Amino acid sequence: MATALKPVDVAVIGLGATGGVAVLPLARAGLKIAGIEAGTWMDPHRDFHADEVFNNIRRQVTTSPKAQREIPTVRTGPGEKARQAGAHPMMNAIGGTSIHYWAQSWRLKEWDFKTRSETLRRYGAAAIPAGTTLEDWPLTYDELAPFYDLVEDEVGVSGAAGNIGGRLTGRGNPFESPRAKEYPMPPLRGSGFTDHMAETARKLGWKPFAPPAAINSQTRKGRSSCVYHGFCGNGGCHVSAKGSTAVTTIPEAQKTKNLAIFDNTHVTRIETDGNGRVTGVRYLRNREEFFQPAKVVLLAGYTYENSRLLLLSKSKPYPKGLSNNHGQVGRHYFGHWNSFVTALFPYDINTWYGLPAQGATCDEWADDSFDHSGMGFIGGCSLHVYTERHPIEGAAMNTFGRAPGWGSAWKKFIHDNAGRMSNTYIQTNTFPYETMYLDLDDDIADPLGDPVCRINTGGMRENERRSTQYAHGKMEQWFQAAGAIEVNKSPAFVPGVSTHAYGGTRMGDNADTNVVNRWGFSHEAPNLGVLGASVMGTSGARNPTLTAQALAWRIADYLVKNWKSVSR
Amino acid sequence: MPDEHDLTRRDLLVATAFVPLAALTAAAQTGPAALTAGQMKTLEAFIDRLIPTDELGPGAVEAGAQIYIDRVLAGPNANEKAQFLEGLEAVNAFAQRTQGAPLADLPAEKRDLVLKAIDENTAQELPQGRQFFNRARRLTLEGMFGDPYYGGNKNFAGWDLIRYPGPRPAVDAEMQRMDAAPAPYHRSAWGTQYK
Repeated sequence: MATALKPVDVAVIGLGATGGVAVLPLARAGLKIAGIEAGTWMDPHRDFHADEVFNNIRRQVTTSPKAQREIPTVRTGPGEKARQAGAHPMMNAIGGTSIHYWAQSWRLKEWDFKTRSETLRRYGAAAIPAGTTLEDWPLTYDELAPFYDLVEDEVGVSGAAGNIGGRLTGRGNPFESPRAKEYPMPPLRGSGFTDHMAETARKLGWKPFAPPAAINSQTRKGRSSCVYHGFCGNGGCHVSAKGSTAVTTIPEAQKTKNLAIFDNTHVTRIETDGNGRVTGVRYLRNREEFFQPAKVVLLAGYTYENSRLLLLSKSKPYPKGLSNNHGQVGRHYFGHWNSFVTALFPYDINTWYGLPAQGATCDEWADDSFDHSGMGFIGGCSLHVYTERHPIEGAAMNTFGRAPGWGSAWKKFIHDNAGRMSNTYIQTNTFPYETMYLDLDDDIADPLGDPVCRINTGGMRENERRSTQYAHGKMEQWFQAAGAIEVNKSPAFVPGVSTHAYGGTRMGDNADTNVVNRWGFSHEAPNLGVLGASVMGTSGARNPTLTAQALAWRIADYLVKNWKSVSR
Repeated sequence: MPDEHDLTRRDLLVATAFVPLAALTAAAQTGPAALTAGQMKTLEAFIDRLIPTDELGPGAVEAGAQIYIDRVLAGPNANEKAQFLEGLEAVNAFAQRTQGAPLADLPAEKRDLVLKAIDENTAQELPQGRQFFNRARRLTLEGMFGDPYYGGNKNFAGWDLIRYPGPRPAVDAEMQRMDAAPAPYHRSAWGTQYK
């Protein structure tokens, strides 16, 4: 029998990138919150190290036991046995993935919110990718913009505004949608190489810029500026320059005394009453079972766990899983297409130090920044070159057919070239499809016997394959203009378990095709809200976190303003 | 970094069970942890040809990559130990069959012929050869170029070979110029006693 705890106003499941943001406006408004988190606090001195084996090989920052037991399986579709992935992008810690992410903090663009209608208007019905379940978002960029402002200020985003109130500034991203004001901090500095790439792009007539990042470019709110030491990705920040929610919004929320954190928990079910309202959260802590009653539950796990927990939480009113009477939980899922083009230079480019968010980005070939008439695809890719390279990764480099893979000739090759190779980060506008969805695995379960999440990819997508191929050609052009002597374009592939996982609890006005409404609350269980990229219906050609955080603030804001009607 | 800090760190790490026991008890060890003495000789004979000592400096064995491999197979990579050792023994048998002696008894040129046959997929009756080669190469890279804390990269030989300037706690703009060549920072992230 579960021990019943003292009721709270709001139970937030997961204190990561989005739950960690939502607790701040809730706590400031005086609501009593239980923050229920599978992990615990990480300590910069104890847990974060300038060590590639620790961070990138053994993944000791990112490998948390609970998530390790819940790695999703992947298959193309029905009839095929799913295989469990070797690694997972989920995280159990206060701060969640915002501890170890690259912290690239983008806003989506107006186009991302109304891709379907804009595509119909500009290119006609034939341009809509075959089989997609794409819908316009139920809100516009303008409605989300004030929340982007709030989050950028609280977590601390560095960047240069490209468009303030419709006026191009001549700096930053000229393709971005209008901002109300400048970023809270100037952009991170470039490195010699990223400056060289930016200069090259300008010569091509492109408009490169230093992309926005939730990383201090200067000392701010008592946190250090970035020290560019080269262990940011998959690692925690040893000087807390990275604006993870563990060092920003969560401690701010704690100051109000309205946030109680329950760490090292394993949430097993969200409970409901006979009327279909949620009543609280059941969880295990030290093998003991507890029930946390709450007037409102906000589900803020990683995309895979959001769908999984809903599907596992079956009850009389919800025989197919919580909020799934319309069969939409798990639907409209998609993993972001991320791909790589690598280049070899005939001189040292010295990208060992720095961080992945230190870079030069070009947005010419993303979204609807260019005319797609006759192209055979919609969307495109952002192109990003960056720094931070580690020695094992450096030694394991592609030899571009210029040397064997071992022996003295190889040794000479890596001696000369390990510091001369550049990678890129290319993010594709990715869309949901009828045959791509999440469900529960038939065979693989966690130690409690709860099946893990299963990803059904549906196979190759012609639209994304074409847009990625097109962008790779642009990246090759950029590298060659910069002096590269070899360029290698990786073939496009359908993402399996992804660090940018979208959908499964999509947001939309139509309850037949969406799990949550325009405010982020369930169409079926009115006091259940969902946070995270799992509510997003398009990806943009950029990292999801800032948008998911802005949506999290917005749902919290809505809850505060409509507390009586939502909590009843 | 002063040594007492490292002790504190190590104590904390024991508490969080992050570091394999093999790494923490390294000082007390006399022989290999996962491999027998014979297997260790075979492994050394193999990785010595992957990254040989030559005019560019120490190779994998001199840098201690085999120590790293031994420790990870005893600790974090224990689940691949059986398969790895099976592959190692199979390669040794292949050397005996094709070159007339166990790998460790062969001169460098003949060991190269063994590696070449596996790398080029011409090794008959060695179905697991390719997979073993890839794993052995990967673990050798991890040992040679990883932090010396884990047993390899002795005297920072791996980092110096590829001209990696070292894990500095902070880096200024000058050090990030394309033509910058910062002085090698010969420190382990875990303290000065690991070389």
